[in-house]
Amino acid sequence: MNDQVISAGTGGWLALGLLLLSVLPGAMPQAEAAIQGRLGTDNADCLRCHRMETLGYRDPRTGDLVDLHVDGRQFGHSAHGELQCIDCHEGDFGQYPHPESVLGQQLDCVGCHQELHKADKRAYTFKTIEQEFALSIHAVSDSPKAEGFDCHRCHDPHAFRNSEVGQPIAEIVRAGNQLCLSCHKKIRDPHSTAHLWLPKRDKHWQSVRCLDCHTPLTDPGQPVSHQILAAKDSNFDCVSCHSKEARLLGRLYQYRSETDLAGGGWLSKAVFNEAYVVGMSRSPLLDALGLGVIGLTLLVLIAHGWGRYRAYRRLREDRS
Amino acid sequence: MSALYLYPRWLRAWHWINALLFLVLMYTGASMHFGEGGWLMPFDLAVTVHNTAGILLTLGWIGFVVGNLTTENGRHYRIHLSGFVDRLIVQGRYYAQGIFRNEPHPFHVSVGMKFNTLQQLSYLGVMFGLMPLLILSGWAFLFSVSLPETLLGLPSVWLVAMAHLTLAYLLVLFLLVHMYIITTGETVTTNLRAMITGWHREDDPSSGQTEEAKS
Ligand code: HEM
Repeated sequence: MNDQVISAGTGGWLALGLLLLSVLPGAMPQAEAAIQGRLGTDNADCLRCHRMETLGYRDPRTGDLVDLHVDGRQFGHSAHGELQCIDCHEGDFGQYPHPESVLGQQLDCVGCHQELHKADKRAYTFKTIEQEFALSIHAVSDSPKAEGFDCHRCHDPHAFRNSEVGQPIAEIVRAGNQLCLSCHKKIRDPHSTAHLWLPKRDKHWQSVRCLDCHTPLTDPGQPVSHQILAAKDSNFDCVSCHSKEARLLGRLYQYRSETDLAGGGWLSKAVFNEAYVVGMSRSPLLDALGLGVIGLTLLVLIAHGWGRYRAYRRLREDRS
Repeated sequence: MSALYLYPRWLRAWHWINALLFLVLMYTGASMHFGEGGWLMPFDLAVTVHNTAGILLTLGWIGFVVGNLTTENGRHYRIHLSGFVDRLIVQGRYYAQGIFRNEPHPFHVSVGMKFNTLQQLSYLGVMFGLMPLLILSGWAFLFSVSLPETLLGLPSVWLVAMAHLTLAYLLVLFLLVHMYIITTGETVTTNLRAMITGWHREDDPSSGQTEEAKS
């Protein structure tokens, strides 16, 4: 800590200045000179600069602005929240300016996750994810927008967190769809004709994930595949959810389990439970039988009542 | 004129709360089953209301059973075997023929027995057969995540759903017939007034049927 050149108080302003200066070509050397030295490599040390929302630089090769901001709180809650920055960002980041050699690293999830303890014991391995992704429309599309598509396009390693058992379904759906919609913005356009075939389109968007229809069916107990399907290959079959097996939805509802109902508030969980899918209890045969018998009975009762009324009239006429 | 106090206060309270809950359950159940449509309730609201009404209906049913075990009302649910089949036939024939011929009611309400045999059988079947099964299947829905994946090789939630649906249709059928049959007392409203006031009165001289039935 003591070997830091910049103090906590001035660090923010310095870095902001650095950003401003860095976007002005030619101003760089002075800015670097101002904070040269050792910084420390705790997450707190890194975040001292990187937590600033305006931190970024213009890539001299492409001219693109590169965002270098990391939200410390969000990171703390993410799947990687327990890790040190330097666990992934290897190299001498304790130096500022960070040495050229450590910059521009391409971090690859599968490489790391495959090495993890018991990684191959997982029901859903990263190898499988890699294979599925290779077939995904994101990987095979010719669109320039899909160029260089990697895990990080969807899974921000500083923020991503897996859905958990017991988490409200609506929240899982919202977070999942937000990922897709952050690129597929046109879908949100009220004049968009996409999904118009879908009855109760907005209701579907609130209750199921894009992924539930836009990935192939997976084996029971497996999560959704990473093989995202092109629109034309996606699931158009209502019965995949609205039926007794609800195979597509099973993957979403795996997040509900006994733990969801256990413990305090079981009654409210029971009252507000989300397990009912329209159509699951649909049976054309039972509906036809039920409504048919009820309709017939109604007719018989009306006829019976009418017969009674006539008998009553007859009785009154006899009396008078 | 005769007046018998046959429907104690707790029974009437149970009955009308039960009837109200039943109507709510039918409406919200249809809303869930058929999805939203013009006159149906929005799905999310329907789920919550249906679940709540179902839980209240369960409490009511327990109250009904306890009430009949601990008070005199229970005796009306005891089947008297002697002449049972004969009474059934006579009552059935009355509804199918006699009633159109202004024949007198074959059954006479008394403190010992307020239901005719058909009525008794249907109430027994509904309150101790269909209702508990409906309630059980409803609770199985509420705790469907705790059910095994399959039962007898079929998806268990689907089995529960089919049972609940069938029972619901049967009980709607009961309600229809029930609402009609209660108009076949001495007068059209004799039974309804009895269930509201507690008193079974046969005192309406304007109805010719009453005169005959009282003979
Ligand atoms: C709006 C709907 C309903 C109306 C207008 C209605 C009306 C009546 C009337 C007038 C009686 C007294 C006549 C008799 O004892 O037979 C009665 C009794 C009875 N009703 Fe209903 N009812 C309705 C709904 C229901 C429902 C939904 C159930 C059960 C699921 C039910 C179960 C019974 C039972 C068990 C009795 C006999 C109670 C006793 O005396 O021990 N009713 N109902």
